[in-house]
Amino acid sequence: MRVNYNWLTEWVDIDLEPYDLADMLDHLGIEVEELDITANDAIFTLEITPNRPDLISVQGLAREIAAKTDKKLKKVIDYQIPEEHAQNKEFALAVTTESKEDCARYIASIIHEIEIRPSPPIISERLEKCGIRSINNIIDITNYVLLEVGHPLHAFDYNKIGKEIIVRRAKNGETIKTLEGEEKELTNLDIVIADNKKPIAIAGVIGGEESGVSETSRTIVLESAYFNPTLVRYTSKRLKLSTESSYRFERKADIGMLKNASAYAIYLLKEYANGKLVGKVIDTNPSPYIHKEVSFSYEKVNRLLGKDVKKEEVDRIFNKLSLQKRGNDNHPKILIPSFRRDIEIMEDLAEEIGRFIGYDNIEATFGYRSENPISLEGKEILAVKKIMPSLGFYEAMNIPFIECSWAEIQDKNPIELKNPLWSDKSILRTTLLPSLISSIKRNLNSGEERVAIFEVGRIFTLDDGEEEMIAATLAGEIPPNWYEEKHPIDFYDLKGIVVTLLEKLNIQEYKFSGCKDSLFKEERALSLLINTETIGCFGLLSQDVCKVDIYGVEFNLQKLLSGSTKRIKFGGTYRYPPVKRDLSIVIDEGKPYEDFKNAIKDAVVNDVQIELIDIYKNSSVGKNKKSLTFRLELYHPEKTLTDEEIEEDMENVIKKLSKLGAHLRK
Amino acid sequence: MKLNELEKNAKKEIEQSVCVDELEKVRIRYLGRKCELTRILHSIGDLPMEERPKFGRVVNKLKNELEGLIEKKKRALEKSKTLPWADLSLPGRRPFIGNLHPLTILYQEIINVFIEMGFSIVFGPEIETEYYNFTALNTPPDHPARDMQDTFYLKDGRLLRTQTSPVQIRTLEKHAPPLRIISPGRCYRVDTFDPLHSPAFMQIEGLWVDRDVSMADLFGTLKIFTRKIFGEETIIEFLPSYFPFTEPSADLWIQCPFCRGIGCTVCKKKGRIETLGCGMVHPNILKNMGYPEFTGFAFGIGLERIAMIKYNINDMRLFYQNDLKFLRQFNESKL
Repeated sequence: MRVNYNWLTEWVDIDLEPYDLADMLDHLGIEVEELDITANDAIFTLEITPNRPDLISVQGLAREIAAKTDKKLKKVIDYQIPEEHAQNKEFALAVTTESKEDCARYIASIIHEIEIRPSPPIISERLEKCGIRSINNIIDITNYVLLEVGHPLHAFDYNKIGKEIIVRRAKNGETIKTLEGEEKELTNLDIVIADNKKPIAIAGVIGGEESGVSETSRTIVLESAYFNPTLVRYTSKRLKLSTESSYRFERKADIGMLKNASAYAIYLLKEYANGKLVGKVIDTNPSPYIHKEVSFSYEKVNRLLGKDVKKEEVDRIFNKLSLQKRGNDNHPKILIPSFRRDIEIMEDLAEEIGRFIGYDNIEATFGYRSENPISLEGKEILAVKKIMPSLGFYEAMNIPFIECSWAEIQDKNPIELKNPLWSDKSILRTTLLPSLISSIKRNLNSGEERVAIFEVGRIFTLDDGEEEMIAATLAGEIPPNWYEEKHPIDFYDLKGIVVTLLEKLNIQEYKFSGCKDSLFKEERALSLLINTETIGCFGLLSQDVCKVDIYGVEFNLQKLLSGSTKRIKFGGTYRYPPVKRDLSIVIDEGKPYEDFKNAIKDAVVNDVQIELIDIYKNSSVGKNKKSLTFRLELYHPEKTLTDEEIEEDMENVIKKLSKLGAHLRK
Repeated sequence: MKLNELEKNAKKEIEQSVCVDELEKVRIRYLGRKCELTRILHSIGDLPMEERPKFGRVVNKLKNELEGLIEKKKRALEKSKTLPWADLSLPGRRPFIGNLHPLTILYQEIINVFIEMGFSIVFGPEIETEYYNFTALNTPPDHPARDMQDTFYLKDGRLLRTQTSPVQIRTLEKHAPPLRIISPGRCYRVDTFDPLHSPAFMQIEGLWVDRDVSMADLFGTLKIFTRKIFGEETIIEFLPSYFPFTEPSADLWIQCPFCRGIGCTVCKKKGRIETLGCGMVHPNILKNMGYPEFTGFAFGIGLERIAMIKYNINDMRLFYQNDLKFLRQFNESKL
């Protein structure tokens, strides 16, 4: 809300410059969002917390300032509704409220012989400063009262409504044209003010166009009522109509203020529009509010605040806040005024004390009390995350909503949102890959040559609930440079990364197998198995979904980590140098390297490291043939191997390989 | 050859050697197996008994001295040995190394501060029920936060948690206080994706329940947190605020790091920036959990918000666009 400095000073003497007043309000928990200092005034834009509807008015703010600065309020709104007025049959009116839940109180007054004209500057200027457009004296007065005392009022043209006011629920499908000229369709969750024919206002939100005050109005009905805050809020939200009135009603305007607000408006209407009160003022519920009491304990509140606030200080603060103490000091009860219905329990009173002594007067302490059973979840996730940058990946984060077509491709049962933010992304992600693919493409389009990103996060399916996953995508090319030609990223770049990740995670027992995941291109992808359980897949992502070559991997993180050896066992170092032997064999082109590597491993008696150092295809090798060159490093933990021992191993290797159809390359 | 003559020649030749090979020849000539010095040493038999020890010492001393000189000269020569010219201005061969996301870097930093203070770290589900997300946290049935305009609901009636506080309830169900926990994780709210909002965001919540925990303890804990994250000199302030699950409630503000409190556009001339919300756990929550005799405090840290303040980032969407030009700027050691 907006409020100007000069209006506040009409209510309370303020010794502070606007800037210092703003700071003081901040420290009371009334956040000043903006301070606009003009030539001879200042305008405060305030963010009022939802528990303090009383502060959405000049009166409420002045009350708070007076309490904090130890001042008395200079102005009190205490107008009486004039008793005598002409009883005139001409001005008959009946008010019915269908439900006290919906409308706890309704006061209607009829004002006659009003003269519509522009408001005097004192009213119009203040309205403008507080962000409300001045229209005419009648409408302005209702708004002026709203701003000053915080209670919304409404004025109907008496001659445009039937002689009966009914506060009721709207019928489904019933419509009303609002003051803004828009036709709104209503439901039975909306409260309306109706005459005997149709709705004339949406209760607490906005008036109807037909029943509104116009240049020709002579007699008006002034409404001061209290509507169900929850229903007002529903209606305002549903119709996307947020008004000064709904803003206050939905926050529980002060029900104790109704009569005063009416009387004040009647006074102003007489003063500035020459209006006369006629007929009987109708009040459906003359004494609606029962004062509430809250138990209090000086000692408990001090313990909660962690500060020894003296009893006298507490009493002084309560007194300034119109909180009356009842009963003895051992078991006092605090009587809460109608405008402070946010105070319901002792802790609320503790906050009042905290606010008024100032939170900065509570000295910060830190002390261990009891032992705490330490569990540190998420450690492993961080550990995995930390490996990825060293493998060349940047960490990405995505909003976990995706298109439902992904779940269809995966044949998974997705979890659907009832109210998606983006209509095309209506399910919770069933895989991390789609968002990573988009990110890869965006980066490639913006000129990046090689993009490698990963994400750790949850996926969601109806069958498996929430699962923590790690996914990574890799695309583009290794850019050319002075020591190396450019080359596109391929499957083996990714495979090397996957194997390194497994090594760094201490996962020794695993297998690769064919990949059946429809997100991947079968001929260029493998799945990872640990203890016969599939952990996930890696390889070229299906062209149908990517359109460009993107390599990806997605593993279930918990399953992956289940294969990690927790205890590291030192295996000794080898003091004796290995012997290196290179071995070139020729085999059929379609045969997998791994068969031959395993054969070598099996054939060698000693310890051996095997590297593939060359693949060669050429007419000299033969048609549909290829040559593989292995480098073997043979070693023994306790001695240097002799030539004879090496030769024996090599002979075994050659024998075994020839059984597989390989022959030595000449 | 006389000993001192040999010494003079040897030193001169060592001095005048211009390369390592030449120096090696000098070494062999004077200190090798068949060298002058050995010969002289062997001639010790010609001397009278009483002079032999002294002579031996002198010769050995010279031997050691020459060895030292040769070693020194060798080092000097090696140092001045030249290699063919190379263009050292050429770029080096660089390995590909990535970065963690800035939110992860900050997450680790924050978590560590609380681990040092003895907090446990507890995770929970992102899909929650209304009970854990609202009801158990003292959110009234008609509170606006429960609306579809603010909360993502699933077709099966469950919802995406709007805060990580449900973890607090789940933990209190399993463990009796006293306890100190941090519950981090992703939360969701129906917000447009704009510079200041995101439908999904990271939150780190803290809860400390014990006998007679006070606001002073809350302020103390968060003071340590802010100083460790924003620097020891950071000036902080607690201002009253409102949340349905805490009473009394407060907002923690830190002195604006951009203008040092003078007032600028970032802090809207306030000189301070709202950083996080906190308060004493609402007694209804502890009562519902069966621990009315305890008090506690809770706080909620928005990771994106802290990162925006700390790294001067003005658009929250940058965290979720995965632009390498953005991600590359966050080297862990730099932060």
